[in-house]
Amino acid sequence: MRETPLSNCERDFLLKGIQEKKRLDGRQTYDYRNIKISFGTDYGCCTVTLGKTRVLAQVSCELVPPKDSRPTEGIMFFNLELSPMASPGFQSNRQSELLVTLNRQLERCLRNSRCIDTESLCVISGEKVWQIRVDVHVLNHDGNLMDAASVAAISALCHFKRPEVAIQGRDVTVFSPEERDPVPLSVYHMPICVSFAFFQQGSYLLVDPCEKEELVMDGLLVLAMNKHREICSIQSSGGIMLLKDQVLRCSKIASVKVSEITELITKALENDRRARKEGGKFGFAESIAKERITVLTREEAPLDTTDIQATADGIISKADAPPEVVPSPVIVATGTGQVGEGLENTWGLEEDDEEEEMADVTERKTKEDEVMVLSDSEEEEVVILNQDGRSKRSQR
Amino acid sequence: MAGLELLSDQGYRLDGRKATELRKVQARMGVFAQADGSAYMEQGNTKALAVVYGPHEVRGSRSKSLHDRAVINCQYSMATFSTAERKRRPHGDRKSSEMSLHLKQTFEAAVLTQLYPRSQIDIYVKILQSDGGNYSACVNAATLALVDAGIPMRDYVCACTAGFVEDTPLADLCHAEESGGGTTLSLALLPRSENIALVQMDARLHQDHLPALMEAAMEACKGLSKVLDSVVRQHLQEVSVQTRE
Amino acid sequence: MATIQVSEAEKVYIMHGVRDDLRVDGRGCEDYRHMEIETDVVSNTDGSAKVRLGLTDILVGIKAEIGRPRPMAPDEGYLEFFVDCSANATPEFEGRGGEELGMELSNSLYKVFNNRHSVDLRSLSICPGEHCWVLYVDVLLLQCDGNLFDAMSISIKAALFNTRIPRVHISEDEEGGKEIELSDDPYDCMRLNVENVPCIVTLSKIGHRHVVDATLQEKACSVASLLISVTHRGTVTCVRKLGGGSLDPDSIFEMTETGKRVGKILHGPLMELLQKEESLGKERMKVGFLA
Repeated sequence: MRETPLSNCERDFLLKGIQEKKRLDGRQTYDYRNIKISFGTDYGCCTVTLGKTRVLAQVSCELVPPKDSRPTEGIMFFNLELSPMASPGFQSNRQSELLVTLNRQLERCLRNSRCIDTESLCVISGEKVWQIRVDVHVLNHDGNLMDAASVAAISALCHFKRPEVAIQGRDVTVFSPEERDPVPLSVYHMPICVSFAFFQQGSYLLVDPCEKEELVMDGLLVLAMNKHREICSIQSSGGIMLLKDQVLRCSKIASVKVSEITELITKALENDRRARKEGGKFGFAESIAKERITVLTREEAPLDTTDIQATADGIISKADAPPEVVPSPVIVATGTGQVGEGLENTWGLEEDDEEEEMADVTERKTKEDEVMVLSDSEEEEVVILNQDGRSKRSQR
Repeated sequence: MAGLELLSDQGYRLDGRKATELRKVQARMGVFAQADGSAYMEQGNTKALAVVYGPHEVRGSRSKSLHDRAVINCQYSMATFSTAERKRRPHGDRKSSEMSLHLKQTFEAAVLTQLYPRSQIDIYVKILQSDGGNYSACVNAATLALVDAGIPMRDYVCACTAGFVEDTPLADLCHAEESGGGTTLSLALLPRSENIALVQMDARLHQDHLPALMEAAMEACKGLSKVLDSVVRQHLQEVSVQTRE
Repeated sequence: MATIQVSEAEKVYIMHGVRDDLRVDGRGCEDYRHMEIETDVVSNTDGSAKVRLGLTDILVGIKAEIGRPRPMAPDEGYLEFFVDCSANATPEFEGRGGEELGMELSNSLYKVFNNRHSVDLRSLSICPGEHCWVLYVDVLLLQCDGNLFDAMSISIKAALFNTRIPRVHISEDEEGGKEIELSDDPYDCMRLNVENVPCIVTLSKIGHRHVVDATLQEKACSVASLLISVTHRGTVTCVRKLGGGSLDPDSIFEMTETGKRVGKILHGPLMELLQKEESLGKERMKVGFLA
């Protein structure tokens, strides 16, 4: 299924908003959306929610023969899948450009930066090593899949524990989790990707674009950093032109963001560890709050209402005078009501004068509330009544 | 990497170059007569061949054509004998697809695509011998091929790699230096406006070293642009001499 | 192949010309186009050659690796062919478009070259039944202007002549397993005997006569072609018919005779040229594509 394209009005609206430093959800230019990290009951299973973008990562391991060129190192394998439930535009078997980009970026961010000690994954040199496989599934796409995927992958890797092995000569015994406690991976550092979206040929930039902003952007710059202020990978995409200062500025912003996110991850890991030790419940079921409809919940967005009174007054003063008041309905007989005097029948006229419409009024009055039932015929003139006599004329 | 010093005490690298020296660059335009534009580029031991077809009508599905711009279509492939270990698939694996995407993005930014609406420009790059700096050699060869095909561009697109060893930035890495575990930064630059069309970096680097590294890469690109410019002028002289007679 | 559209008038013109032994570019029916051969162009292969025949451009690289011999022939090595029709030749070969043609070409090459009469496969064996040299012959098609088989066979012969396989010392260690050591000296290597390697001659039937080394335009006028691989002694090792038309037995006989004659003439100058190139040794300027 193809994605619905973005209309020109929406595009202009978004770009104008960005020029005035306003984003759709009220964030500042360098703000991230809410990040929630939760772990599952198995070791190595992690869900990350970034605003409405949801990503699931699962780490698994198995014993395989090593690569010929590196007989003493374990193998890391990354796989990212765009499931069609994330967005109508994703198809399950297509190798789209986005999939290739995300996969390669994840590989470069995590594998080339040597965040995991692969030498410790070696069991018997040249014969058996651990292959760590990280599968990332995108559950919901609302922009910025790269950041969410990298946070999920690194959290899952930090959470994962592999089974203990005992080597005797050439025999390898793998112990199940009940026999011996599993061993965590040795993680040197945690690289996290931060995405910067560029607009208007590089004059404006935003951190953590949402889906609509991604559709309007000119290009993307992804920086992967860790909290020790080391850059693990830089990748620019899209046909944008950058200047050296922009790249340097982005790296400074990224270092700040990465330290915040790293703290979040460590806190989440701590919570999970504590919960498991104390015997409390843990897992995905616990992380979803009870008695809430998860699909329709909307987070409270902060609204800036400082000068709303002044703007409202300004608008009212400049607005036209309200249209004439239509008198309340006259009750002629029980069960009937007449409003106005009726217009002439215009059905027989030939000219296509769109201003003339049939006068057809529906009204329903209740004592307390205004329940307006407006019929959806296109040629009606709808008059809304109120007991106070305020009325608005709206033309469909 | 036991024993392999990427930078010796006297400041010499594995192949005897100094830190900021580029490898020997040799290039030739108009290698193939059948294609609209072609170029061959040698950067040290890395050999790249670029061929441009276009602008022509959009092949395949009509839906891919854009109403106001030309579509740029790139394919990056490596010959099976180009690397030390034989490659089984010349193209189609993830790394080649990623490279093709990057090339496409780089040239979409540089080529004046507004002049050719509803048409397609194909750029095919082949690596004949790989010794580090594959992406840079491809970009430089493709720039020359586009110039040979007569397609207007904003500026030469020059690319170069740079690395960082012991607080010194190295320009134009060879394969041994790239796989030695140090940082590799690839940069594609439009020299006159100093606009960066593509920046890509792998492996860890402390944030404070980034300005120096980028500066080294940009200087190397500017040096390369002079070489490309001289190649284009020389080719033009040869061709005009031939057509005059 | 780049698609060529030839009008009826052009076809008639070409056929009339061939009938009078005069082709469009002035050649006779049995003349080859201008050929340029260069070996040792790619340095991380064990042997390579580049051939330009008219506008057809082919690059061959050979890599030698140690592998297990085939169960049917335990005391011989073997060759593996792979033809890569790159998108350089024509945009239609982009992605998977060139795979079909590539498969067809590599299958034909297997038949012609991979037998013990053409190449001395026994010399590729290291340890009978256990180890042998496998030569991976990778053919890269850069430009297509007709007559691919001839150009490919010439370039493969030149590349095989240029191949230097490192010498191997087999030593037995304590447990009885065999250790294979490659000699470190880059000059201590084995060369292949390419005397018997055949060359392919493609003859295309146009009208009532046949031509050697057809261009794309001439191919569009011919209905059928005959592919003959000829050794330097004039022995025919493989015959194949290509194309959808039919050939009657007399013309096949004639074409085979022509093929033998032309093939025999081809080998002599080729070997001389290769020997001369090799004798220039280090002083030779490697030109490659830079000419």
